[in-house]
Amino acid sequence: MKRLLALFVVLGIGVTSVGTAFGATLEDLERQLQDLQRQIQQMKEEKQRQDQKLREVEAVQAAQKEEVKKEAASLREQARRVSSELAERVKIGGYGSVRFESNSLKEQSNTFTFRRFVLTADAKPADPMQVYMELEFERFTQLELERKVQPMGGGLTVEEAIEGTDGSEISLEQLWFQYDLYPWLKFRTGQVLVPLGRFNINHDDNRWNIARRSLVDRGVPVLPVKAAWPELGAGFLGDIPLGDLGKLSYQAYVINGVALDAEVEKVLQARGGDTQKLELEAKFSPSRGTANLDMKDSKAVAARLAWSPFPGQEIAGSFYYGRYTPKSLSDESLFAFAIDGLTTIGQFEIEAEYVNTHFRNVDRVARSFGQVAVRNEAENESIAGGLEAEVDFELAGLARNKHGFWIEGRYRFWPEFLTPTVFGKYFENPQLVALLRGEQVWLNGLIRAAEFENGVLTNLDQENRQLYRVATGLAYRPTPLVVFQLAYEYTKTDRGRSLAEVTNFLPAQAGEDEAHAILVGVAFGF
Amino acid sequence: MLSRRHFLTSLLTPAILALAPDLISAQEGVFLDEEEAPRAVFPEGTHFEKKVIPSTEDLREKMRGLLGRARPSIWEDAYVTYLARRHGERLGFAVIAEEIGKHRPITFVVGIKPNGKVKDVALMVYREAYGGEVRDRRFMRQYHDKDLTAPLLPYRDIVNIAGATLSVQSIGRGVKKALALAQIVFLDGPGRS
Repeated sequence: MKRLLALFVVLGIGVTSVGTAFGATLEDLERQLQDLQRQIQQMKEEKQRQDQKLREVEAVQAAQKEEVKKEAASLREQARRVSSELAERVKIGGYGSVRFESNSLKEQSNTFTFRRFVLTADAKPADPMQVYMELEFERFTQLELERKVQPMGGGLTVEEAIEGTDGSEISLEQLWFQYDLYPWLKFRTGQVLVPLGRFNINHDDNRWNIARRSLVDRGVPVLPVKAAWPELGAGFLGDIPLGDLGKLSYQAYVINGVALDAEVEKVLQARGGDTQKLELEAKFSPSRGTANLDMKDSKAVAARLAWSPFPGQEIAGSFYYGRYTPKSLSDESLFAFAIDGLTTIGQFEIEAEYVNTHFRNVDRVARSFGQVAVRNEAENESIAGGLEAEVDFELAGLARNKHGFWIEGRYRFWPEFLTPTVFGKYFENPQLVALLRGEQVWLNGLIRAAEFENGVLTNLDQENRQLYRVATGLAYRPTPLVVFQLAYEYTKTDRGRSLAEVTNFLPAQAGEDEAHAILVGVAFGF
Repeated sequence: MLSRRHFLTSLLTPAILALAPDLISAQEGVFLDEEEAPRAVFPEGTHFEKKVIPSTEDLREKMRGLLGRARPSIWEDAYVTYLARRHGERLGFAVIAEEIGKHRPITFVVGIKPNGKVKDVALMVYREAYGGEVRDRRFMRQYHDKDLTAPLLPYRDIVNIAGATLSVQSIGRGVKKALALAQIVFLDGPGRS
């Protein structure tokens, strides 16, 4: 730039000199030179101003860039903090289990069963508050609904198709809010597990070492409703330290409670003759209470009190009391109580539960049911259509009294020679668990059939049954959350009677009164 | 006629529901704050000197060497420790440690005697949905006099709490971690006094 200016000056001088030669005065030349110098100075100043402006603009731009960078970093940090707080506040977990079973039954000798997958979420809206949810998918792989509404043949056609897998169930096992007022007083409301016995409140599959739940809690069940049994209600729970005497823990709830509820079954039967059969069966059995309107308009109460004199030792008593009939039937109550416990001696544990359930005035309920349902069976044969229709009303799962127990002994050990193998080297405390479980159930006054005509009970067939089961096995627990289960089980009911009549899981044929089974399962939690 | 059941339920329902709003003060999960922690394991202490020990890679490596098969689920950035004294006499060290239970960290303080054995353990914060029984003093008493050679595992030398096995295992791991830290920093290392 300086060189350009110098050249400019020299050229100016040269041009001026030539002018002088043509008669210009020295003063003129001097004036012109000063003018030129002034112009150059002005140009220099102008350039400096422009440079200064440019620098200012660049500085502003740089500052803006820096600001944007800072903002972006702050936003990133905020997002990280929010997601980390959210992750801290809400925890997703769950458990699942599958089983392979081979048994001696004629109907079904072996099968894989997807027992269940349960998704859990545990959130803390604030420090003393907690929300917990368990959503269960049992034997569930598919549910699909198709519906089509279209005009056809001058009328309207509505088509509906439901596709699903056998035995599938989706269930909200728990959904409660808890406010911890004190360690001894916590308020809980929502869909809570009924504290009757110890299994229902500790039912996660990965906590147990045999790949089948007990008869008392599930397979018969003796519990008014099979586990896991939640009910909608509210109540309190807590722990009360007793000093040297140990600790008391309690749970007490007011809940909607068990009700006789209908389950509608449709049977389509192709037959050898000239008719087909459509059978509709409304089966009324004790079911968990509704989450909508309480059809009994009467609440139930359930409570459990456990005393733990030392760590690893617990004995508990619990009860359930409430109406079990809907308003449309006579008002009858259900009372159940349970005694359960756990004792640990070194590596050896014994855990047990006894449950006794009494449905009051079952015969009166059957009579009352007959009055409402009018006829237990109605048939209608439409010759033109070649279709025979049958509607059945049935009382199921009701007995005057059900009681039973299970007792399980476990011995945990770990042979050191397994430590360097794949079964041991990745885990901190792997265990093998040898176990033996015995169970027995008595069903007194079990309703086999209730027949009624024109609103009058014409026949109530009841019987006393019993059932027992012995299981032994070995489980491998690489970590507390995962278990590989192997067990042999033997189940037996009254001689010459079918196991299917007294259990809800064995597809035994008439007269099949015993079953041998090998169970292999995996249960995992996370 | 009011049946016994109706009487019972109509009495209990409002009683239970009415109790809730009046009981506002709460203390869920947080049982001790940092200031109270050393006193919980050294109640006879008169003076507690706080020392924060940064968790360097070198320190972690040394601790791993002492932990054996125990694998900590958390490596803290720094350890808050206290030297407990009673009128000048050294009682031991309190180390605040954390371990993940099932999903959330359990925070607790471990009191360690000058001979490297556990004096006491106390739960500071429990955040899990289940398994809070580990805060019982009688459960924590099982750790008394244990040292780094003990397995500190359920069904081995610690009685398990049904339904809280993960928490029991975590506390054992955390106690070992505290013992290892005390061994390196206070008993063998520069913090020895």
